[in-house]
Amino acid sequence: MMDTLRLLGAITALEPRAKQKENTDRAAVEVPVDAFYSLMGRLKSDPQLAFDMLYTHTAVDWSAKGEGPGEFELVYQLYSMTHGHYLLVSTRIPRDNPVAPTVSPIWKIAEWQEREVYDMFGVLYENHRDLRRLFLEDGWNGFPLRKDYKDEFMLERPE
Amino acid sequence: MGMITEKLPGYIEPVPGGSVLLTSMDKLINWSRSNSLWPLTFGTSCCAIEIMMASGAARHDLARFGAEVTRPSPRQADLLVVAGTIVKRMAPRLRTLYEQMGEPRYVMATGSCAISGGPFIYNSYSTIRGADEILPVDVYVPGCPPRPEAFFYGILTLQKMIKLGETIRKPGVRKKPVLAALPPGVTLDQIQKEMAALLEKDAVINLDEANRLREEWANIKMAGNEGA
Repeated sequence: MMDTLRLLGAITALEPRAKQKENTDRAAVEVPVDAFYSLMGRLKSDPQLAFDMLYTHTAVDWSAKGEGPGEFELVYQLYSMTHGHYLLVSTRIPRDNPVAPTVSPIWKIAEWQEREVYDMFGVLYENHRDLRRLFLEDGWNGFPLRKDYKDEFMLERPE
Repeated sequence: MGMITEKLPGYIEPVPGGSVLLTSMDKLINWSRSNSLWPLTFGTSCCAIEIMMASGAARHDLARFGAEVTRPSPRQADLLVVAGTIVKRMAPRLRTLYEQMGEPRYVMATGSCAISGGPFIYNSYSTIRGADEILPVDVYVPGCPPRPEAFFYGILTLQKMIKLGETIRKPGVRKKPVLAALPPGVTLDQIQKEMAALLEKDAVINLDEANRLREEWANIKMAGNEGA
């Protein structure tokens, strides 16, 4: 078990570009997308950290009206069954070209979680084995959790 | 039951006194139907906790109203309690369940989601805006989720409706009971004024009154001490 400060210190030693996120109750870091995959691999293989479980993966749509294309923040919640500590890792990708590396070679469960994020946000995971829709029908148009999503079924909130 | 309700009216009606007999039979049948509702367990979200678990458990006890025999099969149920959000994918299944239930069947929509879509009414790609878009609903129980008491009020309303309602001669035609009528001599204005006065009284603390009461209590206490 490592406390938050030691955990953050160990991660900064692994990847100097990892930034600590503020106002979080658990250890949380944000990394640039090009350093992301190698950091995730080392987070699992490092015996001091040993994050052997990816228990949630989701995305956040950071875009506002009239402020350019915006970004997707990919959020990964990690847990170490060996040591019992938690970590949040996030990375940002541009919204108009939403391509991210898949972490499914590291954690097998990521295949399903990434399919869900693809289903809802349209994030494209490179080298994913089977990137299909998970919950919605195969013929669905668009990605419903994007902020600019609209369809004919949806009722717009009156201003 | 099916044979009685389908064939018998035709034989009895022409007999002298037959229509009187039919009316009393209606009463008997409706009474037994209203007191032996078998609900189908259909909980899709948090309302199920209140409606199916809290209402059925010992503290509130749905059995008092004869509706505790929740069935997991639509073939054995005659009351469909829609307890929770209905999404697009669930809608056809819900409709199928409704159609598999035997006649006469009743539907209750409990909670905001089943009534109108609730918090998901706007900007939702998946939520059906109310169970009445796919089913004919008899009783609506508002709340998010409704308390068991509210659900029981819904059950009692449904029982009232069943007792008033269907006759052998016209199956499927249901009368809706009048529930919210003002007592004679009372107007809405009076009720509003009374409520406003009550709220005002609750919201304001009268310091003089409180001090007076405190002194009174102190005097009583002192008198008690002297007596001892």
